[in-house]
Amino acid sequence: MSGTSSLLPAGFEALEPFVDRWAIAGTANRAQRRTDSSDAERVAFFDAAREVVGPALAQLDQKPLNQLDDKEKCLMNLMLSFAHVAMAVEVQGAAEARHAQFRQLMQITRTPADVDA
Amino acid sequence: MNVQTPAYQAPDDQVEWLGMDPIPAAAYYDPDYFELERKAVFMRSWLVIGHVSEVAEPGSFIRRELEFAKASLLIVNGKDGVIRAFHNVCTHRGTQLVEEAGGKASSFLCPYHMWNFGYDGKLRSAPDFERFHVTKEECSLPKVAVDVCAGLIFVNLDPSPKQGLREYLGSYAEELETLPVAKATTFSEYVYEIDANWKITYDNFQENYHLRFIHPSTGAATISPDNAFGYPVSYGFNGPHRTQQIWSNPAPTITPMQRLAFGKAVGFAMADGLIGGRNDRSYFAVFPSFFILGTPTQHFSHVVYPLSATRSRGVIRIYWVGEDDSASKRFAREYALAMVRDIHSEDVNVIARGQKGLNSGALKHIHFMSMEGLCRHLYLTVNDMVEAYKTECKAAGEVA
Repeated sequence: MSGTSSLLPAGFEALEPFVDRWAIAGTANRAQRRTDSSDAERVAFFDAAREVVGPALAQLDQKPLNQLDDKEKCLMNLMLSFAHVAMAVEVQGAAEARHAQFRQLMQITRTPADVDA
Repeated sequence: MNVQTPAYQAPDDQVEWLGMDPIPAAAYYDPDYFELERKAVFMRSWLVIGHVSEVAEPGSFIRRELEFAKASLLIVNGKDGVIRAFHNVCTHRGTQLVEEAGGKASSFLCPYHMWNFGYDGKLRSAPDFERFHVTKEECSLPKVAVDVCAGLIFVNLDPSPKQGLREYLGSYAEELETLPVAKATTFSEYVYEIDANWKITYDNFQENYHLRFIHPSTGAATISPDNAFGYPVSYGFNGPHRTQQIWSNPAPTITPMQRLAFGKAVGFAMADGLIGGRNDRSYFAVFPSFFILGTPTQHFSHVVYPLSATRSRGVIRIYWVGEDDSASKRFAREYALAMVRDIHSEDVNVIARGQKGLNSGALKHIHFMSMEGLCRHLYLTVNDMVEAYKTECKAAGEVA
């Protein structure tokens, strides 16, 4: 099926199944979702998103951030969640579960991305 | 023609002067020793409390709690562009003046009896003031010494600091000014509290001996067969402060998404003119408990505030020059935060375990090897100040 996405810009339909869980505003919220998610959820999102992160950022780079429409904002938030998930899947791997308990101590208080989240 | 990368040589000879004696363990858990540190070090030293980007506009302020001093501070940018610091306390009956963590205000109004203070700390108005029989001048907010270097706001709780900030920092004042933090307009931040002495906490970030064991994945890029522990290239000392030059791994192991994010980060840092300075690989430790890494793409600082002999709060910031102005820049910054936070999360467990092991007093001494020389320098500096303080008190007939 080559239907259009109602949630994401054209060309990124493959990420639509991940919007509900991973298109999240706020860095601390994205980091928390990483911690709250299962291994299978993270791997599925990572496998789908790593194929399109380059084109997605290239497309979003065409506009100033404050002019992104709702679909583009959704894609942006997906890519920002992907940054956290990439750390979990690609770098931490099997150590992610043990690691998550210590990460909870590190409370994210602000990032530039939170300004217009 | 191939250019051979020179074989790594550890700078053991640069820390020989510090000696190799065992270090008394009590300095890391004993409440009596902590009380001496509190008075001899923290109540008298210049401490990083914030960044000018937090009080960028006239009337903007931040409130900061310094628990070791039982002090709440108000740092304000005045109409004249001067940053001032005050104890956050209404001079009427001592009510905490400002509750918000930060913001912008036209004046500071105590909710109790409506005493109203200006950006300069002066009492502007107070209802029925004639009945107090004191002058408004006598009711100004208590000032705290404050100064700025490289965009970093420092305070000193000594009512008459023995040195100004520039003198305190010595040659590091100029070096810090070369770093991106001096131009930073925003930052990412995360904060932690930990059951560990401030020196145990801080020392973890002064040595690379642990990297390969505690950060086998996140720190993979920092080690190689040539430098199996990722030790630094050199050390330097400047009074109570210290520095190291971080070794550059000629063939770092990085993952595909790290390559993507780092590639973008390097591109933005180059475009912003942040790469190629003399301190791109420098680590500056400003006594007592602040350090900043010069690396433009992961330009993070870390300050450890003592809460008690065995509890501390760490504040980590990644400083950025300019707001996010593209999706790729925002992505690169989000990734940098996730990565640095992951590394620090791996540290906190062993730091807390270090404290648990020492608390019983079973160990009378701990040991620092040569590549933990910065940790040794911190202890020796603190202990010298503690001993000097004891001597000072004795000479004055006071109990230290």
